[in-house]
Amino acid sequence: MIRFEKVTKRYAGPGKPALDQVSIDIDKGEFVYLVGTSGSGKSTALRLVLRELRPSSGRVHVAGKEINRMAGWKVPRLRRQIGTVFQDFRLLPNKTVAENVAFAQQVIGKSRREISRVVPETLDLVGLKDKGDRMPDELSGGEQQRVAIARAFVNRPMILIADEPTGNLDPATSVGIMNLLGEINATGTTVVMATHDHGIVDQFTKRVIELEHGKVVRDEAAGSYGFQH
Amino acid sequence: MQLRHVLTELRIGLRRNLTMHLSVILTLVFSLFLAGAGILVQREADVAIDELGNDLQVLVNLCTEDDPTVDQGLENCAGGEVTAAQQERIEEELEASEEVESFSFQSKQEGYDRAYAQAERTGDAYLFDVEDPVVTPDTWPAGYWVTLETPDEADGVISALSGLDGVSVITDQREALSQIYGIMTILKYGSWIGAAFLLFAALLQVANTIRLAALARRREIAIMRLVGASTLYIGLPFLLEALVTATIGVALAAGGLAAFLHWGVEKGMAEQVTFLPWVDWSDYVQTLIGAFPPGIVFLGPALTLIPTLLLTRKYIKV
Repeated sequence: MIRFEKVTKRYAGPGKPALDQVSIDIDKGEFVYLVGTSGSGKSTALRLVLRELRPSSGRVHVAGKEINRMAGWKVPRLRRQIGTVFQDFRLLPNKTVAENVAFAQQVIGKSRREISRVVPETLDLVGLKDKGDRMPDELSGGEQQRVAIARAFVNRPMILIADEPTGNLDPATSVGIMNLLGEINATGTTVVMATHDHGIVDQFTKRVIELEHGKVVRDEAAGSYGFQH
Repeated sequence: MQLRHVLTELRIGLRRNLTMHLSVILTLVFSLFLAGAGILVQREADVAIDELGNDLQVLVNLCTEDDPTVDQGLENCAGGEVTAAQQERIEEELEASEEVESFSFQSKQEGYDRAYAQAERTGDAYLFDVEDPVVTPDTWPAGYWVTLETPDEADGVISALSGLDGVSVITDQREALSQIYGIMTILKYGSWIGAAFLLFAALLQVANTIRLAALARRREIAIMRLVGASTLYIGLPFLLEALVTATIGVALAAGGLAAFLHWGVEKGMAEQVTFLPWVDWSDYVQTLIGAFPPGIVFLGPALTLIPTLLLTRKYIKV
């Protein structure tokens, strides 16, 4: 589903590359943690998958396509197959919960009928069936993250990328979010989660890829967080 | 693509940047009005040149059957209507003259029609319309419109032609016309230079508006990019905002120009200065939709849409 072939990414200016000859292979339906210290290259790797960045060398394959040389006009189509969740939720404060979720469908041209069918379904899936009319600031952090997950999943992407999704949440709420991501993974969606949360990684055992100074230093099928920071 | 969603975004965008849009519209209205006024002045010059000739032209009238110059003691027309041989001689003289750039023949009917149009404006058309009129296409002189190489050198050819049989009167209005056309040229370029400055200001305002709108919508735009909205979809509200602004600007400028043509030209200058032919509503239409110089219906949208396209590519690049 996602394959990095000797990917190197250098940013402008001197210094070491953000990613250095990284090769990763993630299959369809896998749940993978991407761990490492700040600056280890996790976010760069996720942005390469989204084609927000292009590698300096090497190849990135997503959903069977090499995306390095993909024409700009094809990028939106690629991104429709990827859902994204962030630590800071990134909800639109002037839209209700349901409108936030529907927004992801409206902007790619889904019909009103489909939106009115899929949005309640998705809100139900994330446990916010009765909160569609609320504004984001009326929700707890955990609930806001659920809305963000609903928005990322509403188009039923093949891949879900989660960048520190539990970073702003307390441990109990984090468990709820991880259970939800697990449910989404169980539908066949590949989940790649960058995290610093060793409690979560150790509790919900999955494949762990550890990056350090832009290199893969560990790739374990059922790993633990492995280092303390 | 959901039209309803796009229209909602458009409405929100217009309301959010209302003051900026108003300032763009105002600048656009004045700049397009000046650009349109410049086009009208140019067309006015064309209309006048069409009838009166330009400041490089003299009209050589040929003798008629009962040419009035005979009574004034001039002998060129003593032989009556100009003959083919005399015409040939006149053309030879024109071709040989170094002062002449080109010349063209004007038939009796064409000369009569021009004179009639002028008489209509000055209120003298009744002279042409009376029963058994003195002036008819048959009695009107044919002639040559002679275009000079330079406005200052015409004495040689005028004196040479004046002595030729078959030449009646040489009408030389260059001095009077050159003043009028000079004023028109100043007005035309003055309008265009003013329009250019204002259009530049409008461009900067459009750029500013887009930057502010992109900033205000940065969160939405970021989400749209992430969920796979196309560049066109993300940029569409910006383009529609620019189009609405341009449409209002063009409509107000067109209204201003129509008012200027009606009250300023038709009810004003045309009633005071009757010897000049004046622009009419067909020229107004050309000012709006002409191809060259481009009419304001094209100019307005181009000036807002092109920078919008370029800047949205910069600010909302997928």
